[in-house]
Amino acid sequence: MSISNSNDGSLTPRSQHASNCFDDLLNSIIADVASECHRIARLGLDRSLEAEEEELRLSQPSDSTRGGAGGADGSSKHGVDIFGNSHPAVASETFECMNCGRPIVAGRFAPHLEKCMGKGRNARTKTTRSSTVTRSRHSRGSPVSVYAPYSRTPNGSTSGISEDLSDNNFEEH
Amino acid sequence: MSSPPPAPPASIPFPPPCPHLASYRSSLSRPFRHLRRCLRACPLGNGPPSIRLDPLAHPHCAACSSSSSPCPCPPRLLACLSCAQVFCPSHASSHPHHISVDLLRAELFCCSCRDQVYDRDFDSAVLRVFHDAFPITSTTAPTTRKRRRVHFHHWRPDPSHSHLIRTRSTPLPLHSISTHPCGLRGLNNMGNTCFINSVLQALLHAPPLRNFFLSDRHNRFLCATRSPPRNNKTNITTHNGDHLCLACDLDQIYSAVFSGDRTPFTPAKFLYSWWRISSDLASYEQQDAHEFFISVLDRIHDNLVEDQQNSNNNAQGDCCIAHRVFSGILRSDVTCTYCGFTSTTYDPCIDLSLDLDPTHITRHNARNGEKETKQKHNKNLSAPTTLMRCLEKFTRPERLDNEHKFYCQKCKERRESLKQMSIRKLPLVLCFHVKRFEHSTMKKTLRKIDSCLQFPFSLDMAPYLSSSVLRSRYGNRLLPAILDNGESEVGISSGASSEFEIFAVVTHSGRLDAGHYVTYLRINNSWYKCDDAWVVKVEESTVRESQAYMLFYVQKVLYYTAGDNNTIDEPT
Repeated sequence: MSISNSNDGSLTPRSQHASNCFDDLLNSIIADVASECHRIARLGLDRSLEAEEEELRLSQPSDSTRGGAGGADGSSKHGVDIFGNSHPAVASETFECMNCGRPIVAGRFAPHLEKCMGKGRNARTKTTRSSTVTRSRHSRGSPVSVYAPYSRTPNGSTSGISEDLSDNNFEEH
Repeated sequence: MSSPPPAPPASIPFPPPCPHLASYRSSLSRPFRHLRRCLRACPLGNGPPSIRLDPLAHPHCAACSSSSSPCPCPPRLLACLSCAQVFCPSHASSHPHHISVDLLRAELFCCSCRDQVYDRDFDSAVLRVFHDAFPITSTTAPTTRKRRRVHFHHWRPDPSHSHLIRTRSTPLPLHSISTHPCGLRGLNNMGNTCFINSVLQALLHAPPLRNFFLSDRHNRFLCATRSPPRNNKTNITTHNGDHLCLACDLDQIYSAVFSGDRTPFTPAKFLYSWWRISSDLASYEQQDAHEFFISVLDRIHDNLVEDQQNSNNNAQGDCCIAHRVFSGILRSDVTCTYCGFTSTTYDPCIDLSLDLDPTHITRHNARNGEKETKQKHNKNLSAPTTLMRCLEKFTRPERLDNEHKFYCQKCKERRESLKQMSIRKLPLVLCFHVKRFEHSTMKKTLRKIDSCLQFPFSLDMAPYLSSSVLRSRYGNRLLPAILDNGESEVGISSGASSEFEIFAVVTHSGRLDAGHYVTYLRINNSWYKCDDAWVVKVEESTVRESQAYMLFYVQKVLYYTAGDNNTIDEPT
């Protein structure tokens, strides 16, 4: 533990003093830590280490390669769920769009709604959103705060925009 | 059937005094008061409090200097409390008096037991010196309205309720319920809406929220006919009388999911309402689940806030069910490193966003210096980042850098300071958001951090409460009320417990721009994977190995307190 400056192993008084100082400081620091830990343990403030270690042990990764988008359960998409059912990649349930009233396939409802409500980055009418309402013949959307007047005309047919609202026909601009 | 309300948890149990300490205490009317003159405190972080007997004295162990074999570098110097003689621990047992004090650390030492001992009044005296020297100011801590705890009453239907139930309701199909837990139902993906489905599954199974809606606390049929609230900006009644209320749509989803029908449900109306109300987020593209979560809670708040007064009381959770369930209070302390002056502020929070501990990554890199290519394959070798470490980092004192020098009111100038966060009040449901998407400073892009995060299924939040953090800042001394600012009372008692259980994990897999969200639900100690329409049972290990993005924990024990209306009991 002594620091020696000379090659023959003997200590100069100066290095002895330095060594003593260092030991003093080191002992003091060790006692600081010991005192703090003693207090924590005595007052019952230390966290339960066993529980932590148990959790860590349980979460040790197994040897199987980890992750990829589906992981090991990716196969469930081709099997059955816990209710014994299987589902298509695109949800096939159909219902009425609450905006335009047309029957829509569930799995494609979001892209339909986006166009139907005139929202999103591809919506034509983004530019008119903040200005006063201007409605052109082919306007398929409208500013947010106004309900899109897609409701059927009195004679039951929609106006000339119907063919533009087909899901497969994505954008015309 | 009712049992007495459980007593609030005891504060830190103090070890009983050793007989020597006990007799010392009894011999003085006010023990340790006389020490206050000698106690010296330093600004926080600069060292423990110490004892100084005489400014010019050079304390040393007389026995050591006079003996032929002095103790090398004694770690402690002790001063007797009765006669002020100074000695080192090895010579302490020969001293006639029992109780002494460590000069450098202000800790009591019993010479007869040869061990460090603890006393509440002594700690109090030490901390009072601290407080006098380095006062703390704070903005007024948000007052938590004290509600008295009440017994939990099981609800029994009265005759009119029973009649209604018999004549106006249909029982759920028994077969469907007995084999699989209630409320398990897939949600159809409507086109890049997995971020919605994953969060919805977590919300559907958050016990306080689930109970709220299943107890008919927001009835969508009654809501639509009610006149819109004064604060009408989001309850848009549209051209054809459409009523937009996200809470109503959520109510519909709860009904559908718990109905016993197991075919996947399509939350189309919910999407429609959400897009109508949050036009800025309405677009057909992948979005962030956490952003969606915040947005939904905000919209529910807007819909349900009826009283203008209560709308500002998010921290109290009195404004709406979303805040009652998810809202907690964070405490932030900024301390001047120069003079020790601390400024404290409180802010409500709806979730905790945690940085993934970067030190883990850099340590790993340092160790495998040259073996760059092998790093990706050697993940198993290094310890994983854990949720506890992230929380420790969250509550660790952080030195603010030069650009963020804090204006110290005492020094009257900008000083380097330490900032420390802690949790003053825990919410009923704790949502952790793991910040996996970060800005890469080099490439100026967002990138995803894929590293695995270990998280416990049972979590004790006590070490991260303001009371604990504050106490450890003062060397784990027992805090007198003057410094505590009500933290111990608030942190523990209002939520009753700091122990949480996990119930949902929202995971993200894949890349930033092309990824997929999946939710793991824990019901009756089994784990289920909800991948849009697919609900599959999985093993615990699958959940532990997943890339957690949002973690949902609920308090283990919920207590009821008296509501404003005395006939209604509400969970705290």
